[in-house]
Amino acid sequence: MKDQDPIVFVIDDDRMIREGMQSLIRSVGLRVEMFASAQDFLDAKRADAPACLVLDVRMPGLSGLDLQLKLRDGGIPVPIIFITGHGDIPMSVRAMKEGAHEFLTKPVRGQDLLDAVQKAIAADRMLREERKDADEIRVRFDSLTPREKEVLELVVAGLLNKQIADQLRMSELTVKTHRAHVMEKTQAESLAHLVRMSERLKSAARK
Amino acid sequence: MGTNGEAQSIAHVMLRYVIALLLVTLAVLVSLSLQNSFGNPFWFFFSAAVILSTWFGRTGPGWLAVVCSTLAVMYYFTPPVRSFSVSPSELPYLVTFVVCEVGVTRLISWRRKTEDALRQARDELEARVAERTVELKTANDALLKQMEEQRRTEETLQTTRAELARAARITTIGELTASIAHEVNQPLAAVVANADACVAWLSREHPDLPEAKAAAERATQGATRASDVITRIRSLINKTTTEKSQVPINRIIEQTAALAEEQAAKNQVQIRLELSPDSPVVLGDSIQLQQVVLNLVMNGIEAMTTVADRRKTLTVQSHIQNGDLIRVAVLDSGIGLSEEVKQRLFEPFFTTRTKGMGMGLSISRSIIEAHGGRLWGESNGTAGSVFQFTLPGEAARLV
Repeated sequence: MKDQDPIVFVIDDDRMIREGMQSLIRSVGLRVEMFASAQDFLDAKRADAPACLVLDVRMPGLSGLDLQLKLRDGGIPVPIIFITGHGDIPMSVRAMKEGAHEFLTKPVRGQDLLDAVQKAIAADRMLREERKDADEIRVRFDSLTPREKEVLELVVAGLLNKQIADQLRMSELTVKTHRAHVMEKTQAESLAHLVRMSERLKSAARK
Repeated sequence: MGTNGEAQSIAHVMLRYVIALLLVTLAVLVSLSLQNSFGNPFWFFFSAAVILSTWFGRTGPGWLAVVCSTLAVMYYFTPPVRSFSVSPSELPYLVTFVVCEVGVTRLISWRRKTEDALRQARDELEARVAERTVELKTANDALLKQMEEQRRTEETLQTTRAELARAARITTIGELTASIAHEVNQPLAAVVANADACVAWLSREHPDLPEAKAAAERATQGATRASDVITRIRSLINKTTTEKSQVPINRIIEQTAALAEEQAAKNQVQIRLELSPDSPVVLGDSIQLQQVVLNLVMNGIEAMTTVADRRKTLTVQSHIQNGDLIRVAVLDSGIGLSEEVKQRLFEPFFTTRTKGMGMGLSISRSIIEAHGGRLWGESNGTAGSVFQFTLPGEAARLV
């Protein structure tokens, strides 16, 4: 299998459940890695590919909810499918609030688990693409000089070249030159494209 | 009122003086009339007048009687007669008379005072006794009220205690259930996951038999584990039933009846015991057997709460059957058992009460069965139901 193939991490302290779920997920052609504890998962070297976590809430040591918080704080945004012994409402509410992707009760119906896994992987794939795009855009924007950045801000704000020249105390011709550089370095196809990319960077920074 | 009372008392005092004067006058008249036949008998009558005056009129009228008597004696009876002067030869006689009269009035006055003081003391005593009686009565009433209150508090306490025990029991059962549920659910989850995986491997275009086999084997392991959990729980329950000793079943019934007495009285139920004279003995756990009897008795009382048209009687009987089987029966005159209820009597969590747990009969049956006996319930002729259980007698075990 290729490194970019999606991967499912199954974390459950019960060996039989772990192996059952692993086998089930593998049967539909997905890559599966199993861990007996949350700590094992954190310690492991994980492949860079679309992924999701199938996580038992109640485990000795680091619990499922603890792991969720750790991953979030560590900036590792992986969709999590929680598995719980019985419908523990306060616990599921907490998990959902922290951004759990899905919450399933034991015993989990095979099809429910597979559906949840597929959805989670699709969601992660989209997130990763978005992140990748944003990263590329950031690299391009980072290559701008400070002066070009100033011009970019005002262009995006909708000012005319003449207004920008006044505000930055430079000739209109210089503004035009900077503007051309900005368009070239960011690979913007149009003013609208430039605005969109800029917005996207800002929203990514906000997140 | 005040002046009226004052006037009255003045009139009263005046009357006493008038009586003193009248008595002295009477003494003069009587002495004068008797003088001719008996010589000079004035001593006696004047003394009587002074005594009476002092007794009824107290000190003042007494003195008045003394003075008047002296004057009358000086005037009528000491020569020269009809004059207040007294001849010197008569002087000792008169002095003796006066001294005697004064002595009499002082003596009587003292007696009277003593008597008055005594009476007053007695009156005061009586008043005080009456007062104390009232106080005692109040105290007694307060005590009775307090006792009534205490009784009510005790009743409340008992109810609370019973409720608490029930709550504790339910909590324990709840915790136990949650823990059992988790213990069983875990292997079941493994079974489901592996069975699903097995099906998935088999449903592929090219079924993967080794994978399917491995999954099926894991499912079997899971099922075995679930069954192990059940066995473990069962052995846990059985472990608590090993406290066996020789139990006189009549004693158990009597103790239970005593325990249920209050509940029965509250529901106007009369408990009647018809116990085997042979004092049957079984081998078992006395606390568990008591629990069973109590359960049946309480159920019987409960079944009669709505009965109003007949006597509420709960009868507990013990018999020896075929020489070696002990049978205990609890009969009530309650609402009886419908066909539907009869079918489900011993199901766990089945109950006809709003507050019941539905565990009583099911637990009772497992206890009796663990003792090698049988427990069943049926309708009791025309009204009510009868629950009975049999236990092997101690003699049977020894044979």
